[in-house]
Amino acid sequence: MIIKGASALKRNTMKKLLLATGLLLSGAVFANVPITGSVASKCVINVDTPGVYGNPSANLLSTDPSDGGVVPVVRYDIISAELYKAKISYPEDFTSSPSLNDVVNWTGSVTVSQTSDEAMASFETDKVEYNNTTEYDLDVQGSVWFEVTSTADYGYDKSFPGGEYQATVTAECIAL
Amino acid sequence: MRFWVVLLGVLTHGLVWGHEFTPTYPELETSYMPGVLKAEMHLFNSRKDINYYQVSVYDENWNPVKFATESKIIQMDYLDHKDIEVYVRKQDENKAHYICTKSKILKGQIAPTLLASRICSKIK
Repeated sequence: MIIKGASALKRNTMKKLLLATGLLLSGAVFANVPITGSVASKCVINVDTPGVYGNPSANLLSTDPSDGGVVPVVRYDIISAELYKAKISYPEDFTSSPSLNDVVNWTGSVTVSQTSDEAMASFETDKVEYNNTTEYDLDVQGSVWFEVTSTADYGYDKSFPGGEYQATVTAECIAL
Repeated sequence: MRFWVVLLGVLTHGLVWGHEFTPTYPELETSYMPGVLKAEMHLFNSRKDINYYQVSVYDENWNPVKFATESKIIQMDYLDHKDIEVYVRKQDENKAHYICTKSKILKGQIAPTLLASRICSKIK
């Protein structure tokens, strides 16, 4: 009986020793691995949707979806508020086109289409427009999407010559 | 909410086409050449449609300021990071106001409408 009791005690001590060793070892296996990172203040300009001109009539190229076009969408990511202003310009010239011998009348607009924060509603009311450019003060942190519409009307109801037409939207982020 | 949206944007910004140019407010520091100051900039290209960026320096009225860099037109692959050193003459220290990078589109590139992005940092 005493021998049996001593043997059980020995087994119990052994178990505890193994458990303690296991715990110590497990501490070494599951070491903490830190991941560090930093987000610098910056403005990021993203092309969300490249635009496409539709050609609803012979003299017209338009990004309006009802004209068969696709409105280009630019997204600005504002990491820190009040550090940048956005300047977006719709095209006033083709960057490439067939030879044109008459005037092209350009129209367009820039509007806020989506925001990540409702405080960004002020972007649209406080925007400044001149020539083909619209300026926005990026004074709220988050992401904002701008739609840029563009229409090119050739001569006086004149047909555009056949070929490829390209125009460029300019999106700028200027540090204040 | 705002934090999560920004974080989501930061984490997923590689999924869309973007242009980043940092820092927002670079400083002109002494360079290894006497009479020449330098600013260290960083450019990140996550625009799949763009492989070239142009560096430029302007005064506060957007007039060009003379500067030097390894190359004024920088070739960058998609998701490339590049450190850029911009050198400005000491005499232009108070004149140089903005350092900008602008995406450049290759002639003949086929796309219905194109977007040129320009980011300007302001020299401290």
